Amino acid sequence: MDCHGVEEEKIEVGRDELKILLMGNPNVGKSVFFSKLTGREVMSSNYSGTTVSYTHGKMQYSDKQATLIDVPGTYSLKATSPAEEVAVDFLQDGEVDVVVCVLDATNLERNLNFALQVKEFGLPVVFALNLIDVAQNQGVSIDVDRLEEELERPVIPTVAIRNVGMKELLEEVWKASADQTQFNEQVSVTEDERWQAVGRIVEEVQEVEHRHPTFLEKLGDLAVKPVTGIPIACLVLLIALVIVVGGGKGLRAVFFLPFVDNIVVPFFRSIVSIFITEGLLFNVLVGEYGALVKGIEWPFALVLPYVFLFYIVLSFLEDSGYLPRVAVLLDSTLRKLGIQGGNIVPLIMGYGCAIPAILGTRANTSPKERLVTSSLVVLAVPCSAQAGAFVALLGDHSILALVLVYLISLAGLLLAGVILNKVIPGKSDPMLLEIPHLLLPDREALFKKIWLRTKSFMIEAEMPILLGVGFAALLVEAGLLESINSYLAPLTTGWLGLPTEATMGLMLGIIRRELAVLPLLELDLSTLQIVVGSVVALFYIPCISALGVLIKEFGVKIAITIGFVTTFIAIFAGGLINQVVSFIGILL
Amino acid sequence: MFLYDLKKEQACRIEQLPTIPLLNSLGLREGMNVSIKSHQPLGGPIVIQIGRRSVAVAKDIAEEISVEKIEKNIS
Repeated sequence: MDCHGVEEEKIEVGRDELKILLMGNPNVGKSVFFSKLTGREVMSSNYSGTTVSYTHGKMQYSDKQATLIDVPGTYSLKATSPAEEVAVDFLQDGEVDVVVCVLDATNLERNLNFALQVKEFGLPVVFALNLIDVAQNQGVSIDVDRLEEELERPVIPTVAIRNVGMKELLEEVWKASADQTQFNEQVSVTEDERWQAVGRIVEEVQEVEHRHPTFLEKLGDLAVKPVTGIPIACLVLLIALVIVVGGGKGLRAVFFLPFVDNIVVPFFRSIVSIFITEGLLFNVLVGEYGALVKGIEWPFALVLPYVFLFYIVLSFLEDSGYLPRVAVLLDSTLRKLGIQGGNIVPLIMGYGCAIPAILGTRANTSPKERLVTSSLVVLAVPCSAQAGAFVALLGDHSILALVLVYLISLAGLLLAGVILNKVIPGKSDPMLLEIPHLLLPDREALFKKIWLRTKSFMIEAEMPILLGVGFAALLVEAGLLESINSYLAPLTTGWLGLPTEATMGLMLGIIRRELAVLPLLELDLSTLQIVVGSVVALFYIPCISALGVLIKEFGVKIAITIGFVTTFIAIFAGGLINQVVSFIGILL
Repeated sequence: MFLYDLKKEQACRIEQLPTIPLLNSLGLREGMNVSIKSHQPLGGPIVIQIGRRSVAVAKDIAEEISVEKIEKNIS
């Protein structure tokens, strides 16, 4: 779900295909089941609400075909939230053959309550008792046979992430689908009766052995106490920065830059030279600023190392279950911005890419919070590609300038949040958030996720950058850039104090956020000019794809407003810094 | 006595809570025993333990959950 939309295409189930629903409480690992069963790659994390809309995929077992639908995780089936409505609609559409209901063995009580609700719809159900390994480590043992008797449906213990129990689960699913006749009576039970039943079943099937808390449990508890939690959060941030910024600089210098500059670019240049001799097209393609030179060097040599390292850090944090703890620590701060602590998750995701962050706000129940969080992400949160560009531009010049730009981004975020909280009507919901156990992420799942995200960056960044840089090179070759530059000179030179060539960044920045920064690399700028240019790029219009998602999620009017306001803020803030610093310079 | 007023490490039994469906789903129901794990400053949420699970509850909600203190280690 990174840098590309969430599938919501119409589900087409073939005539002789089975329709299977995958359901369960949030954060029980449904998405892991989905990717294991269908072979489709989807994101999963260790917190609730990763799957914000349904996805579907095909699965096969011997000669039979089925469509598996990953229904968003809900705590109940009362249709009180959009996600629950989706879930209930699926259960009631009358075409479902089997429901696979995933239960979290470490939290049997609440999951059984959900299990009983699913059962009440009278459909064939197969239960997967997932995370059975984690439960055992916690001293929880569950009598699966007894549970099966109580639920009157098959129960398969699984460790989905390591493929344990998946084959047995599939077999039961197919058996259940062949055995349609048994269940079709809907039962209605009151809330209290259901909880009583849950209590009785838990009593019978579960045994909990008291164990001393493990290191991770203790750490998890320390991370939500303010006195210890804040230092831990600072430490995590510091380690993250060292890995991404320090590691990125190293990777770039040692591998990416030499590889691209000495091997990849000369390779393209020699190929192109075979077909074309000197001239306009040659320069547009492989001239000094050609599409196949800067269009490859920028994304792959300068930006990719940071994107890659950022996704390592983000994916690790997501899977560890640490992020909801940060949400608790920051709740009272974010509340002043009109959003509750849980929104720290999309905000942090925004430091990777704005698009999954905007989609991630769907987990919010309050429309106001969705809009505030999304606006803040596109305004003041630099995505990982832009961060890579910042480090390339600022980091090599002065590390202080880099820190300064990030402080300005943080200040902008807080200020904009306080204002948005006043301007946007509505209110935010009070926090009510499950804090998952801290887990050491599973290596295989982690690698897959990092690869998925890095791959999607490479695919989705490369084309627009090639076209953008090619277009810019064409403008230069055709001599059109000069006239655009002089037309915009009052803005670039007059107000922002940048050379006229800075228009390039302003034009390309509409395509992608890092392209607002990278052209500045080719100019000989003072520290002030670099900071001003970066601040403009930071607050500037969201990239084209982010605008597209804003239109889809909030409508054209809001998206265009955000586009205009961010551009205005960018030019205003950049110019203000230039004017104030220059003015002080004159005084001194 | 309300949930929000309890000190850290204090255990209690829930007597009455507002009708928020998510509360029930997260395991907060009348008669359940919970204990306080942490208090965030500046009107932030509290983190409570229910069974072996932790849940963060906003001040606004925790102030509406009435509880009765109990000795620890009765679960």
